[in-house]
Amino acid sequence: MASRKKVLLKVIILGDSGVGKTSLMNQYVAKKFSNQYKATIGADFLTKEVMVDDRLVTMQIWDTAGQERFQSLGVAFYRGADGCVLVFDVTMPNTFRSLDSWRDEFLIQASPRDPENFPFVVIGNKVDLENRGVSGRRAQGWCHTKGDIPYFETSAKEAINVEQAFQAVAKNAMAQETDVELCSEFPDPIKLSGDNNKPQGNNCPC
Amino acid sequence: MAFQNQVLFAKDSVYVHINVQDTKDKDAHIAGRVFLLNKPEGYFIEWKAEDVLNLETTSEEWDVINYKNDREGDSVSMNAKMDARRKYNISFDILDLKSFKRSAPNHGWAYIIFILKDGTTFPALHFHNGGSKALLKELENFIYIRRSPNDPRLFLVKDHDPEQLSQSINELSLFTDSSGAYVQNFVNDSKHGLSKKFIKSPYTTTLGGFSKVTNFLRDVLMTPENSQNLVRPQSEVAELLQDDIPGMEISQLDEPGFEMITKTKLPPRPTVKRGDPLASPQWNSFFDAEGRISKVDELKDIIFRGGVDPALRSEVWKFLLGFYDWDSCSKKRTDQRKRKVDEYFRMKLQWKTISAEQEKRFTLLKERRGLIDKDVMRTDRTHKFFAGDKNPNLQVLYDILMTYCMYNFDLGYVQGMSDILSPILVVMENEVDAFWCFAGAMERVCHNFEMDQNGMKVQLSQIHKLMQIQDPELCAYLEAHDSGNFYFCFRWILIVFKREFHFHEIQRLWEVIWTDRPCSNFHLIISLAILESEKSTLLENKFGFTEILKHINDISLSIPLEETLRKAEGIFLQLRDYKKLPISLKEILGLLPPAHVPASQSMENSMFMGSTSNSSSSLQQEAGVKVDTPTLMAGGAGSGASSVKGVTRSGSGSDLTKGTVGAACSANVARSIGMSARYGGGARQSNGGGAGGNAGATCGMDDVHKVFT
Repeated sequence: MASRKKVLLKVIILGDSGVGKTSLMNQYVAKKFSNQYKATIGADFLTKEVMVDDRLVTMQIWDTAGQERFQSLGVAFYRGADGCVLVFDVTMPNTFRSLDSWRDEFLIQASPRDPENFPFVVIGNKVDLENRGVSGRRAQGWCHTKGDIPYFETSAKEAINVEQAFQAVAKNAMAQETDVELCSEFPDPIKLSGDNNKPQGNNCPC
Repeated sequence: MAFQNQVLFAKDSVYVHINVQDTKDKDAHIAGRVFLLNKPEGYFIEWKAEDVLNLETTSEEWDVINYKNDREGDSVSMNAKMDARRKYNISFDILDLKSFKRSAPNHGWAYIIFILKDGTTFPALHFHNGGSKALLKELENFIYIRRSPNDPRLFLVKDHDPEQLSQSINELSLFTDSSGAYVQNFVNDSKHGLSKKFIKSPYTTTLGGFSKVTNFLRDVLMTPENSQNLVRPQSEVAELLQDDIPGMEISQLDEPGFEMITKTKLPPRPTVKRGDPLASPQWNSFFDAEGRISKVDELKDIIFRGGVDPALRSEVWKFLLGFYDWDSCSKKRTDQRKRKVDEYFRMKLQWKTISAEQEKRFTLLKERRGLIDKDVMRTDRTHKFFAGDKNPNLQVLYDILMTYCMYNFDLGYVQGMSDILSPILVVMENEVDAFWCFAGAMERVCHNFEMDQNGMKVQLSQIHKLMQIQDPELCAYLEAHDSGNFYFCFRWILIVFKREFHFHEIQRLWEVIWTDRPCSNFHLIISLAILESEKSTLLENKFGFTEILKHINDISLSIPLEETLRKAEGIFLQLRDYKKLPISLKEILGLLPPAHVPASQSMENSMFMGSTSNSSSSLQQEAGVKVDTPTLMAGGAGSGASSVKGVTRSGSGSDLTKGTVGAACSANVARSIGMSARYGGGARQSNGGGAGGNAGATCGMDDVHKVFT
């Protein structure tokens, strides 16, 4: 149907300071991990070309500062986002509790067309650490109440599940893109089956 | 089976410079090899450190990242080193290349900085033994390169844009394989059957001679019939024409909605010279018999022009950062210092004596502690002073930041502050001195960190206003590309270029800025100077919002400091001498005589124009310490420093959790501890990590003491 134009997907990583946003981005894009990342100031992004459902997609992954007061500037980068990765640290319950406000703030600022079905993914990072503070069940529960957001438990350090989490957000963002393409072709929007909402790839012990 | 990458070009002795400050440091220049490779997925330029290459010789694959392998390696330390080296690996598809910058002809050796389409800007590759030209010649076989008409160091890659290419090459029957001089070859898709397709640019139809056409050929696909016959493409392709088409001017600014503005007629830029750093004999000559600095202005001029000899920094910075008053005599300074030592330890004790139990009901402090904990662990850890696990200087960094929370509780801890502190601590090597100098430095930039971010917004808009006059062309370009908010300068301003320059350079830059010469907003002019240097790169690459941000982020650590300072001063002088300079800009530049500034606006004259916060008053260094001592001290500091987390966890905190005798600690005790610590403790020594602890002897105070001594 539509043109096979190269697709650019803009994905924003959000979450409290120190949950591993930069590490996840670097692990996904460059397959490397360092203990020496500095606290992110301002914003930066990396791009990665991936295949999603046989289509070549350029993912532009944005990493922003985690401290609350910098968000007033961070919102400039939310605009036009196709997907959003919400990150918390499984050893720090307070970072999990912040997810609500990160999600809400994002939806307000980015004001996507269809907030109900916006492609979010939740990542519980640092599963390589021992002192777990947030259970998979609890995180899963939260994701369920927010419209079955896919949930992944990752370790950016050990490269566990990172690929899968980003692949999921890319896939779901693409599904939305396709919806839009169709909508724009037909005057009356046709509801597609919402299979982009299917939770997937959760490897947590529930 | 691994695909054998075809090496089309390779050159040794190509270096990445990571630590220009220390030429003796063998890690400063990483030797490596640069390649032009024919890979299954396309043509790639790659650079790898020699160490990495040696390790990989066993591997048949050229995969840039071979992560699993190093995980399973034998030696952990070896892996760490390799990881560090691999960090600098460069690999990109030449189709992603947008432009590159070459070194100036008078530079000692040649270097090339590659810039990709998304704005990614790689560190310079230094060709110590030549070879840069050969690489570029090789590259020219695959992409069309054009020198920027505006910047002789900048080279642009003609875009590969199949969408615009309408006609088949068949219509241009003159272009056959043998006339390869006019085409560029791309092996585009080696997986599938290989189509032979020449595409010509629509522009070509309007052009007469084929000699002109060549330069506009955008994209030619030419692949052999099957992959076994993969021939080194450069053998099929002759050299591209080297010259630009005469008479063809390509508009740099053809964006819709963009209006070309004629240049402001600023006066010509004067040549400015930088000077030598302030050295010891000269410094000493400024003091009179009572130890008072005689000619402060003259001294500041010298520091502005050349900075300070590193050996003198710990003394000179104390004046620049308000630790000592400029007009103080030696006697007064001794008193000043004594008082500051007391004040410091009093404030340190305030947070040290908050128990874990108490902290449960003190969320704000707990949150700040958490933030500081995290940031201390990731502040300049590659610098020797902070490197390594369990480095005691991390504790000092932590303690100073926690104490600053007490000093300015309204502001608290905000990310970026550890960046401000780190170079100061490295210079001072003493906890108390570093704290007060940090407080002085923070006084200059505290508005950057306030909750409403107003200080940041004001400064970014001031850069905008200045650029409207200084470089309307660049300004209009940025506005037309969603960058008129200058967010891409955010990091520069927030932490005063801390991440943009090497460590020794930031110390130099800051001491220059702290002289408030030629104005208190010199950092904004420095931003203009850097942007001017990047102008042709931004404009000619036609970078948009994201690419601009990416490029500006990526030039970090490759900005020439002295050149930038010269340029910035030149820009300042131009603006100062510009007769039509608007009043608002005069204000920003501090060019209005003080008498002409209404009292209500005097604040706006400073760099933090428009900020409404009250906390600035609490930051007054002298006034700010008027915290009522007993309030936080009251009730006995029984469980003492048990709540100290993170870096202290392994150290002194543990023995105190037992709950020692709840003897009430007075501020006097704190003071006496402070006094004793004062003479014992440089930052390096101040942390035995509480090794020789006599737990519970007195009260929580004892622990405080241990950390200090």
